[in-house]
Amino acid sequence: MTFLLLTQLLAAAAAVFCIAAFAIRLRTFLRLTVPKDRSQLKGSPNAGIAYALSLGMLPWAKESTRRHALAYLRGVGFHMTVFLVLGLFLASPWLGLIPGAVRAGLATLCGLGSLLALFGFLSRFIEKNLKALSTPDDYFATLLVSLFLAGAAAMLLNLNLLPLFYLVSALVFVYMPLGKIRHCIYFVFSRLFFGRFFGRRAVLPHSQQQEGIA
Amino acid sequence: MSTKVETALEILQKQLNQPLVAALEVCARCGICTEACHYYQAEPVEAYMPSMRAEQLRQVYRSEHDWLAKLFPAWTNAKPLSEEKLAALAEMAFTRCSLCARCTINCPMGVDTPLMMSVIRAMATATGLAPEVLEMLADAAIEKGRDPSIYLDFFLDSIKDMEKELQQLTGNPLARIPVQKKGVRKLYVALAGAHTILPAAAIFDAVQEDWTLSIYEAANYGIFLNDVSRAKAICKRIVDEAKALGVEEIVISECGHAYYAMRWVAPNWFGEEFNFRVTSIVEVIADYVKRGLLDLDPTANPDPITYHDSCNLGRKGGVLEEPRLILKAVTTNFRELTPNREQAYCCGGGGGLVANPDAFNLRMLAGKPKLEQVRKSGASVVVAACENCRLQLGELSSHYGAGFGVTAIADLVVKAMRLPGAGQTVEAKMTSTLESVEK
Repeated sequence: MTFLLLTQLLAAAAAVFCIAAFAIRLRTFLRLTVPKDRSQLKGSPNAGIAYALSLGMLPWAKESTRRHALAYLRGVGFHMTVFLVLGLFLASPWLGLIPGAVRAGLATLCGLGSLLALFGFLSRFIEKNLKALSTPDDYFATLLVSLFLAGAAAMLLNLNLLPLFYLVSALVFVYMPLGKIRHCIYFVFSRLFFGRFFGRRAVLPHSQQQEGIA
Repeated sequence: MSTKVETALEILQKQLNQPLVAALEVCARCGICTEACHYYQAEPVEAYMPSMRAEQLRQVYRSEHDWLAKLFPAWTNAKPLSEEKLAALAEMAFTRCSLCARCTINCPMGVDTPLMMSVIRAMATATGLAPEVLEMLADAAIEKGRDPSIYLDFFLDSIKDMEKELQQLTGNPLARIPVQKKGVRKLYVALAGAHTILPAAAIFDAVQEDWTLSIYEAANYGIFLNDVSRAKAICKRIVDEAKALGVEEIVISECGHAYYAMRWVAPNWFGEEFNFRVTSIVEVIADYVKRGLLDLDPTANPDPITYHDSCNLGRKGGVLEEPRLILKAVTTNFRELTPNREQAYCCGGGGGLVANPDAFNLRMLAGKPKLEQVRKSGASVVVAACENCRLQLGELSSHYGAGFGVTAIADLVVKAMRLPGAGQTVEAKMTSTLESVEK
């Protein structure tokens, strides 16, 4: 058995563990009740949900994300890169078939994503409020994701580094459902409840001028 | 583990549903919500970060429900609930958060921090750690509902006196304040005191509304305690009254939390879809204005006037445009606060803080962003459609010497009403009535 195959199997096993652990977590979550809202509608819960999961996520949609535009975009950027790298992980046995220029482009994207994650990691040391909020789990998770994206970039530039990428991936997959990264599966639900609440009340999506002299 | 801690954990366990678990799990601790909090705006310290507040409950949740945290508590900063921790949580949830939901609307994840603070309030109430005054106010309302005959005669006498004032005010000798009249369209639920009855009665009289007055008050302090049994008992008096009278609509006076409780939460407590509508008097007046039923003279209110969005009525209640529609019809110098509507700042008095004397200094601090907004607007009068907001705004004005006045929407509407055949605005009538009373 080659080292590459060994790491590949290890990463695949970790991915299976990750999926199984998330499935259990999701099943536990879905077994919880969702309180039925019997109040009379003013707006549309569905319109609220649609807004919460689309336009409501745009950087200019909220005062907070306008204020923290760079941090928000950094977060969006590195989360999108994570999804890209997960796709690359699935496609990894066939990456050699992709033209070198495309791989170089993808490597650049992954490298940028990794840098964004690294900035996120460093900002937890630098920014007073973030430092106060952060737990060791936060530091580790951000660093791990940064390594995951960097590993992908390196592997795309040099396919001989695939075993290294698989090793990092295995670590990510094992940690994902256990630590902070697990927040990803709750995101859609949280935005859904948010949209339902404010949509029902016709607070969101808003159509009126929000600020300034009316 | 002490009994108190056990009870509090039981409450937490019982409340764990999908929205709560999503709120507990989804936070990425990015801190983007930080400046959304009016406490943080007033005093930028870590303890006032919404995410830091929520983290206090998450520490307990993790310690109970996260096996990684159980093995390595320091890794996720998990902390088991102790009596000291419970007391600190209670103090935070009742005085350092007004449940305004501004952080929620500004959170990229939509984390429902007020939901978590409400759960802490429920844990604190069940363990005797809630502010006594909130419990007393809630219990007093429930007690009144048990046997209204104790105060009914006195109430009816005072309504008779008020009716005379109403007739003077409107110039209509036939103007009435009907109490618990069966088969009418609207049941109006006021707050304690004539100030929430007379203006509404004058408006109802002007449009010849088919209405009656409830013998109960709208205020519901049970909701601040997140004590469903108390909050439901308070609402039940009114729901039963509405059903017995066969009304089509319950109209809640200008009170944010009472509206929020009856309009948005009560149907869930009762597990039924009410066969009557629940509205705010603000929505009702806006409807009259839209339909041209009120003859209004905006020049009666020439001062620079601004509107404060009550969190319970606005961001959490959806009554955002109606007050503006009214104010534009009854004033000549209306200006917005910035930001407003769903991004409005809490005045600092929400969540029951106004009723809690121990929280005075904190709410004066938390009201600073609102005070600054009012100052920037240049308004000399702040309108609020919530009694607690008005109390807080009035105290902010006097505490900081800001010098602005505070009033209700219905008061301004009454001022702007032209009385049929009287040739005198209600404002002038009110002044002359007051003068005659003083004499």
